[in-house]
Amino acid sequence: MTEYRTHMKIIGEILTTTRDELADENGATITFLIRKANISHVRISRILTNLVSQGLLEQNSSQGACRYRISHSGREFLQAYQTFSKFSENFGLAI
Amino acid sequence: MEFLFENILNLIGFLVGLTIGSMSYIGFKNTGSPTLFRLSIAFFSICVGFFVIWTGFMIEDFVIKSGHIERGVQTLGIGIQTIGYFFIAFSHGIKSFFPKSRYFRSVGMFPLFLVSLIHIENIFRSISFILLAYGAIETMLSYLESRKKGAIFVTLGLSLLAFGEFIGWYSFVFPESILYYLSISIKIAGLISLFIPVSRVPLRKIKFDEL
Repeated sequence: MTEYRTHMKIIGEILTTTRDELADENGATITFLIRKANISHVRISRILTNLVSQGLLEQNSSQGACRYRISHSGREFLQAYQTFSKFSENFGLAI
Repeated sequence: MEFLFENILNLIGFLVGLTIGSMSYIGFKNTGSPTLFRLSIAFFSICVGFFVIWTGFMIEDFVIKSGHIERGVQTLGIGIQTIGYFFIAFSHGIKSFFPKSRYFRSVGMFPLFLVSLIHIENIFRSISFILLAYGAIETMLSYLESRKKGAIFVTLGLSLLAFGEFIGWYSFVFPESILYYLSISIKIAGLISLFIPVSRVPLRKIKFDEL
């Protein structure tokens, strides 16, 4: 049975990818993030726009493509997300 | 003796509820998670419920001195706690039955718990027992999936609280018996068990800046 991922979990996966799995310093391309997060282009575009506007991701335009890197606020959010994710898992719940 | 036991139980309940509720609220403020919002409502309700009963016992002990707590105060406290248990069970209900519903995931339904007072108290205890038992079963099922050790303590805590409520309800049938003290002791053990995994969450490493 496939596991249903919450919106928060998808955001956590995107931020983790931009923090831990970048091939170079310029950031992750949207194609790379789509493959890692396994969601549609339309949906990830909305999420990325939201994360950039919240200051959790930094957007760079290099080599004709948008690239995304995690910001300092994004790292703090991700740390809080991971801590409270474990907290809610103790109650058998997902945040 | 009864007052001492009740005071210990209600103070522990108040502190555990306040601690877990505060942590859930900090989590909600930092992540915006609806699950943590519901958990904070749940544990703040449990905290307020225990506080109301504790206040009732203190007022009785130092002001009224009639020898027994006002039944209305006790019913009110247990009713507020029941709302808290409802939100714990409700969170599991959403996870199990409405995994994709945005409506249920956002704010959620607010419960309506609107007949002599002793009957109401019995009703609240019965509802609490069902909600706690449901929460414990769901948490156990989550443990079987995730194998997170903390979930065992929460399962044990919710199970002991449920069993304590059941024994507490049964003590109405046999008043002045050991069942009452047994009920309080079991509930204290349940609250301590609930607190164990939460105490291991490394909050100190997090810098809670505004996002």
